[in-house]
Amino acid sequence: MIFQLLVGNLTHGLLLGGVYGVATMGLSLIFGVINVVNVGHGQFIMVGAFVALTMFTALGLSPVIAIPVALVLGMALGFFFFYTVMRRLIKAPELTSLLATFAMGILLEEIAKLIFGADFRGYNWAVGKITLPITTIPMSKVYAFVGSIVIALFLYFWFSKTRLGTAMRAVIEDNEGARVCGVNVGWIYALSFAIGIGLTVMSGVLLTMFIPVGINPYMGGRYTLKAFVIAVLGGLTSPYGAFFAGLIFGLIENGAYTLFAQIPGVAPFPLTVSLAFWMLFFLLLVKPTGLLGK
Amino acid sequence: MLRVENLESGYGPMQVLWKPSLEVKKGSITSLLGPNGVGKSTFLLTVLGSVEPWGGKIFYEDEEITHLPTHKKVDLGISLVPEGKHLFVGMNVHENLIMGAYRKEAIQNVNNSLELVYSLFPILKERDRQRAGTLSGGQQQMLTIARALMAKPKMVMLDEPSQGLAPILVGEVFETIKKLQAEVGLTMLLVEQNAEASLNAANYVYIMLEGQIKAEGTTEDIRGSSDIREAYLGI
Repeated sequence: MIFQLLVGNLTHGLLLGGVYGVATMGLSLIFGVINVVNVGHGQFIMVGAFVALTMFTALGLSPVIAIPVALVLGMALGFFFFYTVMRRLIKAPELTSLLATFAMGILLEEIAKLIFGADFRGYNWAVGKITLPITTIPMSKVYAFVGSIVIALFLYFWFSKTRLGTAMRAVIEDNEGARVCGVNVGWIYALSFAIGIGLTVMSGVLLTMFIPVGINPYMGGRYTLKAFVIAVLGGLTSPYGAFFAGLIFGLIENGAYTLFAQIPGVAPFPLTVSLAFWMLFFLLLVKPTGLLGK
Repeated sequence: MLRVENLESGYGPMQVLWKPSLEVKKGSITSLLGPNGVGKSTFLLTVLGSVEPWGGKIFYEDEEITHLPTHKKVDLGISLVPEGKHLFVGMNVHENLIMGAYRKEAIQNVNNSLELVYSLFPILKERDRQRAGTLSGGQQQMLTIARALMAKPKMVMLDEPSQGLAPILVGEVFETIKKLQAEVGLTMLLVEQNAEASLNAANYVYIMLEGQIKAEGTTEDIRGSSDIREAYLGI
């Protein structure tokens, strides 16, 4: 029955939406703090996917352990790219930082290809499943969702209760204002970029817990697109907005897929992929500040 | 307390400050007067390090601080009430004030500081959970001053605190400034276009034109010299 199918798929959509949310928070944070659109965003997700794959296949470690490893590796990459490249580009014209982040993405793709080759890979983390009346959900997806909620809560705590987190929000709102309050704005730039990349790499692990196949050096591009749509949906500079927008996007994507599949003679998958473009188009037309933006 | 010697700075290829020198005595209100666009704001921003000094020297409590980054200067107890407010409009009043107390010495005294600014500006206490962006212009100006005080500064630089305010509020702002000197013992460097009001508040006055100090003196000197008043202040 269509209704049951829809509810089932929406459940999966909500779980995936949590992962999308975490996969976009980093993009929003970096844009919010240093005004740079990270065009290489998806490639950092790819790095996370390979962290999970390698730890699982080579070391036999569960992806849950790969989550903190990905955060640390991501933050290290973030600091590295910040101090070597981004720091010089903060006041440069947008095109310069677009090119630089695009180049970072290519660099990561080619390094990944050098190490892992271009084949599609996957892993099988069998941790059982739960059967609900309407649908069956693999436990790995539930863990991915729980992981994303925990990360979002951590970030909420970080932004609202800690001194550095509040300073980050202050820099997003008005960096000159933060400077006169005594905030070391240069350090906040570096830290935010590192946390943003850390979150993004971490989301790559969560994503493979959800979709453990198709891991490949060139998998990142489509996630960059999705993250852009979700970020705009969430109001661009707000990491919280990004998380909720991720949930909404997961629901819309899966709901639309289910409905498209009901139309005779229509291939639902490509249509769903194009949906992100349509959403971006209408959103920019109707409410360019984002659904959750001001 | 603050001594600036032959300061030079600017933006890109354009030099704005042409070696002005100035001194702010401890406990005094020193006013830097001059019309729009002569470099007064640039002067304050250069002292605080938001704009990089090209030349000259800045001493604070007899230590040279010319090239210290802004956050270290704030750590030493220099606060700025910036032109254009630069509030965190999406945060509430309380959060803005907490950000003002960002420097380490200020965090430990945050409750005392809150008490002080709430007694100076009771309206801010009433609205402490309201978003800063929804306050009126006058209240925002009060919040900007309050935020600077939260840092427990030894010296506050105020950049056009009366700008854009209704005349009655201008009076209030200057009353507050005098109160801060008398009751808190704060040292202040006041940048203004409003010559009459700042002559009333200040102890010592510098007049800036084209990035240079053209005249200086005690408030009485400036008031007494019709040449200076006519040439530079138009009053």
